[in-house]
Amino acid sequence: MKKFNRLIIRDIHIVVKGASDAGAALLFYLLAIIMFPLSSGTDATLLTSIAGGAIWVAALFSSLLSLDRLFRSDFEDGSLEQIVLSGISLETIVLSKCFAHWLTNGLPIVILSPILSLIIGLDFSYWWILGLSLLLGTPSLTLIGATPAALSCAIGKGGVLTALIILPLMLPVLILGSGAITAEISGLGGIGHIYALAAILPLSLLAVPFLASKALRLGWE
Amino acid sequence: MTNIFNFLANPSRFRLFSQKAYPYTLLIMSIFISTGLWFSLFNSPPDYQQGETVRIMYVHVPAAWMAMMIYFFMTIMSIFALVWRHPLADILSKCSAPIGAGFTLVALVTGSIWGKPTWGTWWVWDARLTSVFILFLIYMGHITLVRAFEDEYKGARAGAILTLIGAFNLPIIKFSVDWWNTLHQPASVLKLGGPSIHIEMMVPLILMALGFLFFYFSILLINLQTELNIRKLKKLFIKKFSEKKSF
Repeated sequence: MKKFNRLIIRDIHIVVKGASDAGAALLFYLLAIIMFPLSSGTDATLLTSIAGGAIWVAALFSSLLSLDRLFRSDFEDGSLEQIVLSGISLETIVLSKCFAHWLTNGLPIVILSPILSLIIGLDFSYWWILGLSLLLGTPSLTLIGATPAALSCAIGKGGVLTALIILPLMLPVLILGSGAITAEISGLGGIGHIYALAAILPLSLLAVPFLASKALRLGWE
Repeated sequence: MTNIFNFLANPSRFRLFSQKAYPYTLLIMSIFISTGLWFSLFNSPPDYQQGETVRIMYVHVPAAWMAMMIYFFMTIMSIFALVWRHPLADILSKCSAPIGAGFTLVALVTGSIWGKPTWGTWWVWDARLTSVFILFLIYMGHITLVRAFEDEYKGARAGAILTLIGAFNLPIIKFSVDWWNTLHQPASVLKLGGPSIHIEMMVPLILMALGFLFFYFSILLINLQTELNIRKLKKLFIKKFSEKKSF
């Protein structure tokens, strides 16, 4: 557990120093949200109906952008190999990397989203369902994207290919997350979607460390 | 059963087996498809509501079944490849992906053609349609990933890992029409409590499904032979090259 904490602190330290592009991904989240009112008009009723989806799409792309670098820099300069040699299992490293990614990308999005929902025209009384869906959804986004990110390290090139693989896998989370908000607004109640999101999170938490470390080992073969 | 697995685990032995089995799968496929087509086009009743358009079902439903079954098969093979490192499992998974993508596309296109006269629209964003579309995208991502590797062995293993991550979409597709109340009709053949479809429509449907299954087998065998030949050629080339250098 001590080692786990130290790994997370190390990753957060890298982000704070600006050596990773997690901060840029967060800025991208703000920019992507602004795109929606600018592209589809500032009509208040229209904005209210697309607000949940807009926030979710922005969160998904922000996560996607930063996920490409999840393992890459450590994989390329060999520090990931050194951490494994120090006796920490690769599965633990994958989990700590995902947790650090969520702390630097997912958590700020969850905190920022109720404020941003105001400028995009979502009624403030829906902040709890927006926050809850993002709180359960963003860790799943990170975890689902971790394996393709590890695979892109094994190929040696990333970019468009990683996005192409990750996006279809993330779509169910996007549908459920933004669906929760739309269902709540329409009066149907979005709690069913939240339950489904809450089911995806532990499932991916179980499968991902195993699969992502398989993918990283494939890169070392 | 384990003996068969072990016997066919040797790639060159499997290559011989597939060369022998290929004509038989073609033969069985043509028998099933021709009788199935005759039944479905001439010897089955039109639907009392949809009329003759119901005959699209005999292509649409088997293709959709195959799209899901092939992904299920790929998932099982990926588990075999990652856990027991079976030498053929990841190749089987890799060679199945393009066929599965093809069947998914057929299901989507025929469904769209069927949707226009019955639902009045080419496409709706309903749960079943959306999840099958996502399945198609996952197939395409899989194909792209596997071909991005220069080394075939690594590519096939990477494909196996990706297959397992995408596998959670499969139950969503199967049960989407039961969980959500959407435009696509719920399952009427593969469900608890027996099928609710009339026997005269059931027979051509099953025949076509079997035909599609053997079509898949024959294409899979050809794909496998190509893959094994490519690997063998590369090995021979490397061997020859290294022998030349030593002189």
